[in-house]
Amino acid sequence: MPLLTELTAAVAAGKRTDTVRLTQELLAAGLAPQTIVETGLVPGMAIVGDKFKRNEIFVPEMLVAARAMKEALKILEPLLALAGIKPKYTALIGTVQGDLHDIGKNLISMMWRGANFAVVDLGTNVSPEKYLAAAVEHKANIVGLSALLTTTMPAMKETVRILKAANLPDMKIMIGGAPITQAFADEIGADGYAADAGTAVDIARKLVGAAA
Amino acid sequence: MTSREKIQRALAHQSGPVPVDFGGTGLTGMHVSCVAALRDHYGLPRHPVKVCEPFQMLGEIEDDLGRLLGSDCVGANGRGTMFGFANEGWHEWRTPWGQLVLVPEGFRPREDASGDVYLFPQGDTSVAPSGHMPGSGYFFDAIVRQEPIDEDHLNPADNCEEFQLLSPADLAHWRTEFARVHGEQRAVVSGIGGTGFGDIALVPAAFLKHPKGIRDVSEWYISLIERRDYVHQIFTHQCAVALKNLETYAALAGDTVDVLVICGTDFGTQSSQFCSPEAFDDLFAPYYRQINNWVHRHTKWKTFKHSCGAVRPLIDRFIDVGFDILNPVQCSAKDMDPVRLKADFGSRIVFWGGGVDTQRTLPFGTPAEVRTEVTSRLRAFSPDGGFVFNTIHNIQARTPVANIVAMVDAVRDFNGTAA
Repeated sequence: MPLLTELTAAVAAGKRTDTVRLTQELLAAGLAPQTIVETGLVPGMAIVGDKFKRNEIFVPEMLVAARAMKEALKILEPLLALAGIKPKYTALIGTVQGDLHDIGKNLISMMWRGANFAVVDLGTNVSPEKYLAAAVEHKANIVGLSALLTTTMPAMKETVRILKAANLPDMKIMIGGAPITQAFADEIGADGYAADAGTAVDIARKLVGAAA
Repeated sequence: MTSREKIQRALAHQSGPVPVDFGGTGLTGMHVSCVAALRDHYGLPRHPVKVCEPFQMLGEIEDDLGRLLGSDCVGANGRGTMFGFANEGWHEWRTPWGQLVLVPEGFRPREDASGDVYLFPQGDTSVAPSGHMPGSGYFFDAIVRQEPIDEDHLNPADNCEEFQLLSPADLAHWRTEFARVHGEQRAVVSGIGGTGFGDIALVPAAFLKHPKGIRDVSEWYISLIERRDYVHQIFTHQCAVALKNLETYAALAGDTVDVLVICGTDFGTQSSQFCSPEAFDDLFAPYYRQINNWVHRHTKWKTFKHSCGAVRPLIDRFIDVGFDILNPVQCSAKDMDPVRLKADFGSRIVFWGGGVDTQRTLPFGTPAEVRTEVTSRLRAFSPDGGFVFNTIHNIQARTPVANIVAMVDAVRDFNGTAA
């Protein structure tokens, strides 16, 4: 359907006005909101993630695309809620205790939304107890921990320890942030590490067993 | 050879002993807790250390400690701080981690029930706070105070409140500051503020009581694409003010200054860049070029560009717009291998930093690992000058003092001046 292809291109290019217009046109044409999300918006954000991984676009372009997607979701989400349709997977995300940095965390949050995860953003300076309570409440499939500072990496370790000790079924822990490495993820027992916002989608999908 | 001569040789890409900077700038310093630990380690007189930069909580490296660390630089610093109050009128303050430090008069913290600490712009506790340190934290972060954005009525002047001509109080301060460092045997590193374009740390304007315009971090980055004319108008005004201020400042500074810190705008993330090369060429390069050209036409100073992250794709551009020095040379970021950086750019730009990884080796390694890495970096960067040793950005809180000492000793041994 050409309009869906246009929508995908509009999101990928961050064209907010076009994204909103095309979403409305697709709804008017009788397309289901879920179809618009899954076959219009999600592929658009996948293009953004791929281009970001290849250094073809940068943080500003990703933010602009995510904003376009968000505007479309503002129209679609009430309709999805009315129909009782929820994303299959839920992801929590936050910056660990003692750390207030959120640029990276926000980018991952946007990209997960763009991959059709329900995302609960716990904000910054999140205590291990708050992560755990939210993971239980939302039956999270993914819990994402972000840290920019070397001084807050111990808080990340402690959060992973507490989350793991709770033995929640179907919950995987992902970590990321400038000083974080795969070796650190292995050391503290995290299930996944993502070096950038594009990769974070691939890893999250893999961890929950979603089709590539 | 004096410290200043060591630095000047390195800046001229001439071989010689590797000069060192600890604390010459707010980008090459140490957390106040590390400064106190080092004073204890070396048996220096114990007293509360001054927090000379309250945002990152950097500690003053006094001359007695600076000598032991082998530092070849001294800073000539501006009056203000990130929070808009002056660095004067010191009083004691107990930090959340229990250290007694000295902070400026305008540092009037308020603590909430959870132990988080808030600071206020210009020390005015009657307005909303602009800085926040978590109770378990070691640094402040700016609190974003973004008014609703009216796209149809955005006024670039709103983003220009901070760019002002040097005041009589500023000039009096600079006269005193230059008198303090005049005749120094160490190299003098300085900066006047307002010459860095689009520094994301400054966008939220923690120093303003009621910031207007685009102050949210994401909105600023979006502006680089969607509001480019608006950003150009800000930078045009900022550049004009900066050039006037440079003229005034240069008349006072003369040859006292060796290095001018121009800009702390981070263009690199851990694995990529914060903007495209095209955006750099269009938005940033014209203004950097004007500032660097003015400095090079009118002074002997070398210009210093700080940018964290994976900036290799932009280094040719930094050189092209006239920067002499790159800091902090984040070798832990993508494509920032020290040997390749030296081979590809080492004859055209001075690397000021890169000495040891502050994300991994220095805070989490062993002293032996620190020594190995430091020696390796010295071997990579030092041939034919063009290198000033510094850690990759400030030394962070919780860094073991034994590791800092191992680093200092490794540099001293490399230079062949070990006792």
